[in-house]
Amino acid sequence: MADNIEIEVKDLDFHYAGNVHALKKINLPIHKNMVTSLIGPSGCGKTTLLRCFNRMHDLYPGNIYKGDILFQGENILSNSSDLIALRSRIGMVFQKPTPFPMSIFDNIAYGLKLKGVSKKAALAEQVERALVHSVLWDEVKDKLNASAYELSGGQQQRLVIARALAVDPQVLLFDEPTSALDPISTAKIEELTAVLKKDVTIVIVTHNMQQAARISDWTGFMMLGELIEFDMTQKIFTAPSEKLTEDYVTGRFG
Amino acid sequence: MSVFDEELHKLKDKLLKMGALVEDAIRNSIHALVKRDNELAGRVIETDRIINMLDVEIDEDSIRLIALKQPMAVDLRFITTAMKITTDLERMGDLAVNIAERAIELNEEPILKPYIDIPKMRELAQGMTRDALDAFVRKDKKLAMDVIMRDDEVDDLKHEVLRELAFFMAQDPTTVSRAMKISFVTQYLERIADHATNIAEMVIYLAEGKMIRHAVPHHEA
Repeated sequence: MADNIEIEVKDLDFHYAGNVHALKKINLPIHKNMVTSLIGPSGCGKTTLLRCFNRMHDLYPGNIYKGDILFQGENILSNSSDLIALRSRIGMVFQKPTPFPMSIFDNIAYGLKLKGVSKKAALAEQVERALVHSVLWDEVKDKLNASAYELSGGQQQRLVIARALAVDPQVLLFDEPTSALDPISTAKIEELTAVLKKDVTIVIVTHNMQQAARISDWTGFMMLGELIEFDMTQKIFTAPSEKLTEDYVTGRFG
Repeated sequence: MSVFDEELHKLKDKLLKMGALVEDAIRNSIHALVKRDNELAGRVIETDRIINMLDVEIDEDSIRLIALKQPMAVDLRFITTAMKITTDLERMGDLAVNIAERAIELNEEPILKPYIDIPKMRELAQGMTRDALDAFVRKDKKLAMDVIMRDDEVDDLKHEVLRELAFFMAQDPTTVSRAMKISFVTQYLERIADHATNIAEMVIYLAEGKMIRHAVPHHEA
């Protein structure tokens, strides 16, 4: 696998329990330290694909993966994968902010404690670093003991990103991270992706094509469980190769 | 047809209207020269105001569509192409005005020689303009390439005229002022053909998403 590829998807098929064939022979690379967006109409499989990357589907029984997802050369679909370790290396941020019902500080310290960080000074230092990294520190440094629920939606989303960053992931998966946010909070999260990609690889699912165009380096267009086209974002939005992609990005779908 | 498609259609119509006016201006400016018709030359100069107005309108419409409709892929290429084409057409209109101005000046003096190659150049340049715009409407890559190739013929004719004029000037210094003005006219026609070539190159971008400007085969030689 080339050095600049973080994750490589090979002939991936996915069936939900009850035999819905949600992903069909997906092949694509996720480039290291870049933002890759997955776009497509509702039900196209983009979120299903995103959730394969940290095996979120394993939370429910009866789902079947076929094919390979190579993460740094190792097949994460193999039975021997340690899913807890995998999910700290490949973190996820959801559509609605999901802070824990505890203080801002503890939200971030939680994952660190699970990883075995127990010294107060080390915790404080790593919590601060994560909050600085997610560009939230200046807004919360004076109220670290306040409940996370006191934060605005946009701040909560950056808190959740800080929580994911605290455990040093290599990849962050974003599942429509701004669809519940106002334009200013959205702009902050979008700016953040540009900063974060220096340290982590980002995969984002978004319904907002302009967002995919603004923030991603690579874009995959999916439809009915298939990856129709994958190319540099600039190519997808100025001169896509496939007619279906063109119809979708120009809004002439169906 | 969606509201957006209708807007694109209107933009295309406006561009074609501008193109038709520019074609007329090219034809009329050379007719004014050849037939020594000052009134026709005046009309070319007058019409340029409408061409300029359309240039501004097309730019404004394009910017509005980009801002409000956030066009992608072929729509984005269409609108950006329209913005570039309008700039070329506007310059072509100005060059036709320059020809008309030289025609008025030349009409004050006796005729230097019958015009043979200049009407040929006009026909070529005007044909290139018409075909470039046709290619734009039909996203016809082949026709666009054909326009690009024809540019050399205009260049060849220009060199021929300039050689002839140099000969006149060497023979008889009293012809210099007229010969200079005629040589300007050939330069203007040659530049009109260059702008038509630009339009054709943008059509290839529109059709294929590939920029070929400054890298077309016959320019590489």
